[in-house]
Parts: sequence; structure tokens; C-alpha cells
Amino acid sequence: MSSGTLTTELPGAGLVPDPAWREAAEAVAAVASEHADQADRDAAFPAAALAEMRRTRLLGLPVPVEHGGWGGGFTELADATIALARADMTTALVFAMHCQQATAVVRHGDPQLLRDLLPTLARGEIYLGSVTTEPGTGGQLLTSESPLQESGGTLVIDRVAPVVTGGRHADAFLVTMRSAGAASPTQVDLVYAARDHLEVEVTGGWDPLGMRATESVPLRLRGAVPATHLIGGPGGFPDIAAGLFGPVAHIGWAAAWLGTAAGALARVIRYVRGQSGPRGLDVSSPLVLSNLAVIRERVDTVHALLRHTLRVVADEETRHGAVSSTSARLLVNTLKTRASEECFAAVNGLVELVGLRHGYLKGSPTGLERAFRDLRSASLNFANDRLRTADGAMALRDVSVRLV
Amino acid sequence: MDAQFVDILRPYLKYAGDQEITDTARLRDLGLDSMREIELLFAIEDTYGIFFPEERMVDRTFETGGTLWKAVQEIRGATQAAAS
Repeated sequence: MSSGTLTTELPGAGLVPDPAWREAAEAVAAVASEHADQADRDAAFPAAALAEMRRTRLLGLPVPVEHGGWGGGFTELADATIALARADMTTALVFAMHCQQATAVVRHGDPQLLRDLLPTLARGEIYLGSVTTEPGTGGQLLTSESPLQESGGTLVIDRVAPVVTGGRHADAFLVTMRSAGAASPTQVDLVYAARDHLEVEVTGGWDPLGMRATESVPLRLRGAVPATHLIGGPGGFPDIAAGLFGPVAHIGWAAAWLGTAAGALARVIRYVRGQSGPRGLDVSSPLVLSNLAVIRERVDTVHALLRHTLRVVADEETRHGAVSSTSARLLVNTLKTRASEECFAAVNGLVELVGLRHGYLKGSPTGLERAFRDLRSASLNFANDRLRTADGAMALRDVSVRLV
Repeated sequence: MDAQFVDILRPYLKYAGDQEITDTARLRDLGLDSMREIELLFAIEDTYGIFFPEERMVDRTFETGGTLWKAVQEIRGATQAAAS
């Protein structure tokens, strides 16, 4: 299929050509779907899907067109992620997190770094990993105990990280470090470090319940990078985190969870409708139909929240250059907490609906067993409890409860 | 900033230690996160008998000791003017 031959009907917009990146996303989704069960079983990274993301240049989605990328914004990131997640949540999450890193580089990178990096990023040659967690910070993004050292125009990195998605496979990392000479651990830098500037030591394994193929191993990183690899200037990370990193992470995660739930629902419906004889579902039962409707409601609710958040984020960026108002930040966090709970609840409802054989056993064409395990991670991926503590404080700031 | 204001601030700045808290000290760098910020806000409002209006509830207000103190003084001034 080529761009221009496929069309999508958008409300009020008539028929518009499908964007060319969608073809790339569909190609990656097909490869991901083929290998997902094996990758899950082995807790091994979806290498074939990553290779397809490189070949199709989907990894270059957030890179501006003038540098050879697709020029994708948050909406394109969300749509591509949903398409991938319908096949495999791990591949979708890997892609969304790469785009989060790439967007931060595109927006806040030093011009000299961007000149060298963006064309290769656009060609799909760089898969970017994220090193933002540290032992001892309780998963807290905004503090770092590992000080960056400056030495003769270079930045010296020595850092352990307990959970690095795709850590063995990333070509480069964005690493948070305590600023050189910082008086407190809240002064945090974001540094771009290519693998060939680093000694990367894998210090442990990864054998989780779900999201197994993210292969999120613990790492120790040691090395030195040029001073131009500081993203957003000295101490720049907290502003990037609040204005960009947080919003794009929550949009990307929500899209991955939504796509997973929508894909699971689609597979169940296809299975039920494709059956002759016993359908696995008693469609003459009002209770079955009602339960199915609740599942669909959950999926539609998250989709509506995602689309609304995308509009509000775009509006904030137009007005303020970043997501900065309290009510918009609350909304972005609400997207994360609600999407994580609703999408898991939707798949949990599907398991209940279709029962043991197609809901609980591996090998069913519904794929519910893996989707259920994968989605169980959603509320823990930057824990909802912690996020809601911050949201409660923000809610007290927003005296008039401004609805955005 | 007067001494009383600095005394109010200090318990919420866990990285300030014994160091002097100056006008230009960045509160976030000294440990003021979103939770502590709300506690600090309530402490300031109780101490000075003021209410921070919505337009003051932005990151700028809480950026440094000086920006927060300036906001407190302006709100106090406006409160007193409204009462007289």
C-alpha cells in the first residue's frame, strides 16, 4: 500500500490521505505481532520489531522534516503507538519511550549536537534509551544522587540505573545526572550519551510478570561526552520534565495501553463473530452484552481523554511554549492514572467475559493472557499512588477548579 | 525577606541545612517540591492572614525566596487596602 491510496474518514474533514508514517507503523506492527509470543516467553527484546522500526524509519517520526524525519508531533506519536500496541504493547512502549527521548533532543538539544544527530536519528539508525531512575530515589524522576563531573570540556558520567528499558539494545541514552557542583540532588542535568562513548555493564537480569520483552535490565554506565551533549543546559532537566517529558510520557503510555485494550477487544470480537457453532459468548444474554458494553465504554473513555489531552497540550504549547498551567498538568496526569486503570480493567473484563480457555490460557487467538499481564504494569509504571500525591497538591493550587 | 519569613521557609527546604537563605535562592533547588509547596503556602497564609489568589499560583511565584516574599508583600498590601 502506498500513501494516498489509503484513506481515513475524519469527522468534519471528509476523506484525507493516510499519512505515510502509518504504513511504516503497520509494517512494524505486523512484525511485532509475529514475534511477540516468543519475545514474551524468552523475556527477550523485540529485536525484529526494532529492526523494522529502523528499516521503515519509524524511529525518525519525531525528527523535523527538514532533517529527514516525519515531523511527527504528539498526535502522530499517539496514533503510531496505538497502531503498534494493537499488536504488541512492548513494541509500542519501546517506540513511545524512544519518541519521548527523541522529542526532548529535538526541542532542547544544542545546535551542534542536533546537526550531527538529527539526520542519523531520522534514518532510524539510533534507538534512544532512557536512564532516569536511580536506586535510592524511590523512582523519583526529579532528583539524582549521581554527580556529573566536568573535566576539560567533557562531561564524565558514572551512574547505575536499576531499570533501563531495552538497555542492552539502545544505541544511545538520555541520562539524568546531578548537576556538576550542585548543592542539592534536585539540580539535575539531562545528558545525551551514545553507546560508543560509554562502557555499559549489565548488572542483573529481568524476569517480570508482564512487559517481559522490554528487557528492562539494570545497568552501570561509565564514560565521557562532549559538553554540547547537555540537553536543556545546566540544571535544565526539571523544566524539561514538567513541560515536555512528563506530558509526552503520559501521552505515549496512555496510547500504548489504549492500543493494547482496543487490540484485545478487537481480537475477542473477531473470534466471537468468526466462530461457527459455539461462539464462546452467549450473545442472547443481556448480561453478556451489558458487560461487553462496559468494556467498550472504558476503551472509548480513555480514547476521548487522550484526544482531549492532546488538544489541551497543543493549546498550552501555543500559549506558553510548554505545558505549564496547573489545570493542564493535572489533566496530563489524569490521562496517565485513568488510562492505566481503565485499560487494565477493560482487559480484565474481557478475561471474565470469555472465561478460562480464551481468557486465561496462553495460545488463545484472543491474546488476552499476555495483554492482561502487560497491562498490569500500567499503574506501576511511575506509580499512580505517587502521581496522585502530586496531583492532590496541584488540585489545592487550582482554587477555582478551572476545567480545560 | 524578613527574619520571620525565612523562619517560615526553612522547615520546607530540606537541602538548605544551616546555610543562609537569600533572595535569589532557588526554592526548588533547596528541596521545595509540589507537596511541600502546598504546606508552605498554608503556613504563609496562616501566619500573615492572607489568601493567595489564583493568578499567583504559578511556578514563577515559588521560584526564589525573593519572588515569594514579593508576592506575600503585594498580597498583604492589597488585603490591607481592601480592608481600609
